[in-house]
Amino acid sequence: MAKLGLDIHWRGVLLVSQFLKDAGMEVIYIGNKFPEQIVEAAIEEDADVVGVSTLSGNHLTLGPKVVELLKAQGMETVKVFMGGVIPPNHIPILKGKGIHEVFGPDTPMQTIIDGIKTAILGTDPPTG
Amino acid sequence: MPGKTDKEACLFSEANVRKIETDYEDWHKNRLREEDRQLDGKYFTPSGIPVKLIYSPADIKDIRYSEDVGFSGQPPFVRGVYPNMYRGRLFTVRQLAGLGAPEDCNQRVKYLLKHGATGINILFDLPTIRGYDSDDPEAEGNVGYCGAAVDSIDDMDTFFADIDLGSISTSIVTHLPSTSLVIPGMYFGVAEKRGTPLQKLAGTCQNDFIMETCVGSAPEILPPPVSFKMQCDVIEWIVKHAPRWNPVSYNGYNLREAGTDAVTEVGVAIANAIATAEELINRGLKIDDFAPRMSFFWDLHNDFFEEIAKCRASRKVWYKLMTERFGARNENSMRMRFHVQTAGVTLTATEPLNNIVRSGIQGLAAVLGGCQSLHIDSYDEAYSAPTEEAALVSIRTQQIIQQETGVVNTVDPLAGSYYVESLTEEMTHRIFQFIQKIEDMGGLVTAVENGWLHREISKYNHTHQKQIETGERKVVGVNYMKAESEAACPIEVFEYPETYSRQKARLEKLRKTRNKEKVKSCLEELRAKCHSGDNLFPYCLEAVKNHATLGEIEEAFREEFGLWSFPLMG
Repeated sequence: MAKLGLDIHWRGVLLVSQFLKDAGMEVIYIGNKFPEQIVEAAIEEDADVVGVSTLSGNHLTLGPKVVELLKAQGMETVKVFMGGVIPPNHIPILKGKGIHEVFGPDTPMQTIIDGIKTAILGTDPPTG
Repeated sequence: MPGKTDKEACLFSEANVRKIETDYEDWHKNRLREEDRQLDGKYFTPSGIPVKLIYSPADIKDIRYSEDVGFSGQPPFVRGVYPNMYRGRLFTVRQLAGLGAPEDCNQRVKYLLKHGATGINILFDLPTIRGYDSDDPEAEGNVGYCGAAVDSIDDMDTFFADIDLGSISTSIVTHLPSTSLVIPGMYFGVAEKRGTPLQKLAGTCQNDFIMETCVGSAPEILPPPVSFKMQCDVIEWIVKHAPRWNPVSYNGYNLREAGTDAVTEVGVAIANAIATAEELINRGLKIDDFAPRMSFFWDLHNDFFEEIAKCRASRKVWYKLMTERFGARNENSMRMRFHVQTAGVTLTATEPLNNIVRSGIQGLAAVLGGCQSLHIDSYDEAYSAPTEEAALVSIRTQQIIQQETGVVNTVDPLAGSYYVESLTEEMTHRIFQFIQKIEDMGGLVTAVENGWLHREISKYNHTHQKQIETGERKVVGVNYMKAESEAACPIEVFEYPETYSRQKARLEKLRKTRNKEKVKSCLEELRAKCHSGDNLFPYCLEAVKNHATLGEIEEAFREEFGLWSFPLMG
């Protein structure tokens, strides 16, 4: 889990990390990082999924970059999840660029937990 | 408690109170059903204060009106800081403005002023907030989003083009002390260039080390003692040179947004003010030299009465501290003035129009709590910084409160409510207790350095979210009467994608045309002063006037002081 770029709003990402831990996942929060550093950490930690959080408008610039860099490293199986304040009309754009799922404000924790579990177990991503 | 025995001064006679207590017992036993009685002790405010089914004079029997409540504009200022309150001057309608490049903001500021805003609240993009220039690799993806990009004094000039700085009141939302050393200097520099004396400038900068180290912090920020020292530098310089400027706005707001209850919000802000006062007194200032210019910033949440009680209690705590602990003599030192913003965290992305109602009710609480200025959140803020249309609804909400509801016609209309007075007393007590706890820990800087405050925030959020997940805490449209379609809303997001290229070109030009030698010598001098213990403000101001950029100055700080990660991360 990482905060994307300079975004300062750390409440959500730590909260989600804690709930994922409570759900039995191993979670590593690496703090504020740029795409290159996030991918480096994903390699080092042998991550199954990458979660990035942003509430400051850098999602379109930096989000897809994480996907591209993972691909360049041959890690396309690692799914990238995004959370934060994301305008609805940007969600299809992000998904088109390979972001696996976007969780906006008000998303129940269980939805996030289920989404990640489904992604790791290799079935279809949840809809809706 | 002093005066407990002074029954003569209490609101109700002892005989009356005894009668009321007997009546209450009788009512409780005979009028209530067993199932009602079983709910006793089960209701709490969000800060954990027990809420009774009904309140009566017996709940405020120890309150002595003249000493504990009094009239507005006189000690202990519970009822408001000025005698005539809103009849004299309405609260300032101070909406946030800031998006894109400086020229875009200039348009927005003019728009807000034209529609009746009486103060400006300028918000910066994250690179500016965190002290990076727009063309810095660290700024990628964030330039002009969520606020304005301001890199140099020239950008500030553009931001306020055709606006008379001597006639407006400007709140410059520089969260961090390190940028508060720089960005207000840009504003002062522009004023000076235009011939407006600093003595005429009215405004506020935020300048709160809690923002730098706990709230808006990502890993790697300036260490708490450095940030705290900078906070004091800004205050010390500004009270001496720009006497109408509030050099600090103790930001309970963002701490609350990050995740705390109302008691912690106010307690931390006041503990910070105490620490500042002690430091400035050590530097040779007197309490009355600076306390009149200390201002506060509260977050008004959903629990209507607790929030009003918080506002009233915070004024009382401040009065007592200033007089009893610091021996202030100037009444302006004893008046706690605060700005309010409605609670961004309570806004939902689901059914965003509901947010107009949430913010309206929170705004009403702020006015009943006696705020000096107000920002009402816009309904689209769970999606982006507000669009023009949504910003207008916020201004209109304020004007409806001011002009149509009648609540501004009389001072502190909830005074005397058994519930509100009882909550105010309890809140006062708990804020004092909290401040004591911080002091017992070795003071606020220590409580931050060792990660205590970060852990408190984290714990609060976990508990709070669990309550939402289990449905114990209800959010309309989200976990209660859930909206059928998630398909959102007719919100168009404000974007200025060209800000980055415009700012980049500007910086390139600036770096070519300014006096390079002068910039270099200013920055070198500033670096040297980082280790001398001197007040850094004048050196930053000199650098800014010579067109050093924000990022260059902040880079000097980062290199000279080193960076700190908060201890939660491990």
